[in-house]
Amino acid sequence: MPPPQNASVITIQPLATLSPPCSSRTWQSTPHPTLPVIATACSDRTVRVYSLTSFTLLHSITGGHKRSIRAVSWKPGVKGQSVLATGSFDASAGIWRRDERGLAEDTQRERAGDWDGDEEGEDDDYQFSCILDGHESEIKSLSWSPSGQYLATCSRDKSVWIWEELEDDNFETIAVLQEHEGDVKCVAWHPEEDLLASASYDDTVRLYKEDADDWVQVAMIDGHKKTVWWVEFEGSEMSARDFRAHREGLSEQRAHHVEQLERSGPRLATSSDDCSVRIWRRKPREGSAQTSSRLGMPNIIRSVAIDEEWFQETILPQQHERAIYSLSWSRRSGMIASAGSDGKILVYKERWKNVMPNGVKADGTVDHSDSDAMEGVENASLTEWVVVAELFSAHDVFEINHVCWAKRSDKGRRSEDEEVIVSTGDDGEVKVWVLEER
Amino acid sequence: MSAILSADDLNDFISPGVACIKPIETLPEDKSNAYEVTTEDKVAASQPPPPAQISLTDCLACSGCVTSAEAVLVSLQSHTEVLTTLDTHRSLHTPWLAHSGTNGTKHACNGTHNGANGHHCGEGKLFVASVSPHTRASLAAVFSISEAEAGNMIAQLLSGPLGLKNGGAHGSDFTWVIDTNVVREACLVAAANEVVTALSPEASSTPLTAGSEGAIDTTPKKPILTSACPGWICYAEKTHPFLLPHLSRLKSPQALTGTLIKSVLSQRYNIPPSQIWHLAIMPCFDKKLEASRSELTSAAWLPHHSSSQDPVRDVDCVITARELLHLAAARNIAFSSLPRTPLPSSQRTPFPDPKIDAFLFPPTRRKNKDPIAGSSGGYLYHILQTYQAQHPGSSISVSRGRNADVVEYSLVRNSETIVKMARFYGFRNIQNLVRRLKPAKISKMPGARVGRSRKPGANGAAGGEGVKEYAYVEVMACPGGCTNGGGQVKVTEVEEVRAAEGIKAVNGDVVVARPGPKEQKEWLGRVDEAYFSGSGSDSEEEKVDRDGDWGMKDVDAPTTNGSSVPGADVVSGISRTHIWNLLSHWSDTTGVEIPKLLYTSYRKVESDVGKKKQSDVERVAGLASSLGGGW
Ligand code: SF4
Repeated sequence: MPPPQNASVITIQPLATLSPPCSSRTWQSTPHPTLPVIATACSDRTVRVYSLTSFTLLHSITGGHKRSIRAVSWKPGVKGQSVLATGSFDASAGIWRRDERGLAEDTQRERAGDWDGDEEGEDDDYQFSCILDGHESEIKSLSWSPSGQYLATCSRDKSVWIWEELEDDNFETIAVLQEHEGDVKCVAWHPEEDLLASASYDDTVRLYKEDADDWVQVAMIDGHKKTVWWVEFEGSEMSARDFRAHREGLSEQRAHHVEQLERSGPRLATSSDDCSVRIWRRKPREGSAQTSSRLGMPNIIRSVAIDEEWFQETILPQQHERAIYSLSWSRRSGMIASAGSDGKILVYKERWKNVMPNGVKADGTVDHSDSDAMEGVENASLTEWVVVAELFSAHDVFEINHVCWAKRSDKGRRSEDEEVIVSTGDDGEVKVWVLEER
Repeated sequence: MSAILSADDLNDFISPGVACIKPIETLPEDKSNAYEVTTEDKVAASQPPPPAQISLTDCLACSGCVTSAEAVLVSLQSHTEVLTTLDTHRSLHTPWLAHSGTNGTKHACNGTHNGANGHHCGEGKLFVASVSPHTRASLAAVFSISEAEAGNMIAQLLSGPLGLKNGGAHGSDFTWVIDTNVVREACLVAAANEVVTALSPEASSTPLTAGSEGAIDTTPKKPILTSACPGWICYAEKTHPFLLPHLSRLKSPQALTGTLIKSVLSQRYNIPPSQIWHLAIMPCFDKKLEASRSELTSAAWLPHHSSSQDPVRDVDCVITARELLHLAAARNIAFSSLPRTPLPSSQRTPFPDPKIDAFLFPPTRRKNKDPIAGSSGGYLYHILQTYQAQHPGSSISVSRGRNADVVEYSLVRNSETIVKMARFYGFRNIQNLVRRLKPAKISKMPGARVGRSRKPGANGAAGGEGVKEYAYVEVMACPGGCTNGGGQVKVTEVEEVRAAEGIKAVNGDVVVARPGPKEQKEWLGRVDEAYFSGSGSDSEEEKVDRDGDWGMKDVDAPTTNGSSVPGADVVSGISRTHIWNLLSHWSDTTGVEIPKLLYTSYRKVESDVGKKKQSDVERVAGLASSLGGGW
């Protein structure tokens, strides 16, 4: 697949607004890992679960939290049921469960067109199963690790907690990480390793790993000039799916770059109040420590070199005018979507850069990547991120609190792999967008 | 003056959260002390809220648990405060020998009058220091010496000829340097007694009335939780008041030392508590907070205390190992050059009461011998051994929990488990303990639709029942226990401290430039090693058998809380009879009942999330000026 030559060939078109909308601010919408539903965290203390097939409300989860629900995360890899974690400004996290056979049925019925929301009995509903408290103030974000073993929560109390579910509803606090000096805005897990990242009001991102029973900070990323609102890892093995997938005829230099990237593993993207989206990369370890942890080397040996070095690979084209609250890194296409206070949605794509011998890019624009980043810059500059789509005032005059990619599931779906963008706004609306080639 | 600490260590702390407020009693002003008044008044006068400099989160890892007001109280206890007090007051070494009343005989200020700094000669004070074994262990590791040597050096600094007495406005120094391990023995015996009594079938289960949950005269509920760690107590009071009925009522060794000294000297020897200045040298900042508790003042034990009297704290000031080094540096004393030998006993001022003197200054040192007892005083282990003594043929089994800071102990005989206890150190483990002790109704989300198949409390699954089975849980806020307290010399500071003292790392002890978690663990291991370094050839020779001297008499078990524990008298080298003899002697001397001396109380502290942020600031401002830097 040849890289797109013209950057702005794509438009962002409205597909649907999830209905009915919430009458107050909505914070975040998280697609279910397997089913075509999405959960929206609302400031009216509810979670709304909408269908991504019909774009209508399936369930309202109410009655648990005393204040705004700020974040929602689906537990991955659960069989037979859906498990949702909610993080609230009331400083607690809730765990909710629903029998998934019921949910699958709903979806079938719904597909068959005979879904009637009012039919829903108690047993179909999400049931509160336990509360996790310990944080001192508002929970800002929470996230299950890819294995579902751990749940990370973070709060205005400046701490990041890691919980482990030993058995159903028996959670243990296994770490309380106090490295940040300010409100912690977001937590995210590495897709392949038990590596946790957190972003904070103190302008830093911190990474943590377990070292002989103790979770410790293994890296600190210090590059944003203001609050870091969002942190998200790249998907696993994206080099098979994004611009790197096409390997034939790559120059030696480019082939080397792909190899280096694979050694680094999934990258990290952050968005900030300083209006920038930045990509960070791990410096591959001599003799690749990743493999050693996979081989289950004893802790003692691992702890010798548990520290990691992350460096800034690039800054994405800066086209946001205000704080960027959220970004989403597609696990299917490798594209990044970002949104925030300025009401804009931007979509970026990475591609090989056509470098002229004098270092000026083919299109004559100036390279945005930081020149003071460490080694790897030389490689990083082989690629560039371009804005492929831009949408103004997606939620009218309102701020966009969250944006994410989701698998397209409605009848109009054009391919198995097609994705939609879901934006969640201050206006209480959750909108679904499709990308149209112009 | 050395700046290693003053500047750096404040930055180590996380500034306090605004979510909680703990009512702070204002403490007596001491008008004779002019120092720092200006500074504190400035703080009070300034418009923006004063940045709270120290919070205790270093230990507790919990930002919300210290209010700005507390942070101010705590920051007033510093090595500067020690210097100021020494410079303001002459030391009275034997005020009980003076016949002219409480002010002592000497009226002239000795030493030069330091006009430049406005030093005035205040009334004389009797300076007393108590030193925790953890502080000694920390310094021992830094200077690659034994814990005993570190103790000798501290004594040399505080009362020796080459120490503090050489400088300052009045050449003031400390009359006594007490090892808190000595007083800890009384705590251990009392703790065992408390648990055995509270959990015995005969224990009257007084129904708790609302509001009396943490009162001094209530019996704690199973599992009884250690009260010696102020970081933990502070957290429990503010965040989990449902735990108050479980807290041991026993004072910590630091507090008990203060009560002992001040009550005996004031009740028997007519030296007012305000004339005794008690400094404690402790492993953490939280101990400063403990020292400022209103429950731990003369008001709690003075028999005729009236509300018009200003309560005097049992511990006036707490400093840590690092601050002790600063204290020395501020007087241009190189700590490492102090003699490592004990002060000659001929120069010792005996405590006026011979029995208490014998208790406080035993001829042999108290050692922390047994690593199995843990690094935080060995409460659990002593209690367990007490049970063991009652059950001949039983044995103790120890199993490590999920991490090194969770350890379960059980006493078994044949296949019967007699009693189970556990150790939970560190904030994350405390979380798990607390969650399992939480009554189900609290953990339920009101109004939420609850799964039919599930228990509402949810967390009550496997782990929960186990925790409720424990008779006693030794809870400490610091991972690794008190040897890892927030005021200990940290691995990152070792180099700096050594450089400042002009010494090199000894015997291949390399401290790496950027210490990671691994180095930290190794360092902690060294401190632990120093803490337990008492173990060795003379293991069981530590007992101080002075029955004869003490004029053994049969102690009537005090009606409410006396020793009613059957079984062998000597547990782990500590004779219960001795301790109870001493306690009743103390009670007789002062006319205060034993429970009033030994126990303390706790109270629920209301959090006011989002309600009165302003009041926090006002409170700090008001507090700072009313204190006037008084202590
Ligand atoms: S565990 Fe020990 S050092 Fe740590 S806060 Fe408690 S008393 Fe202080």
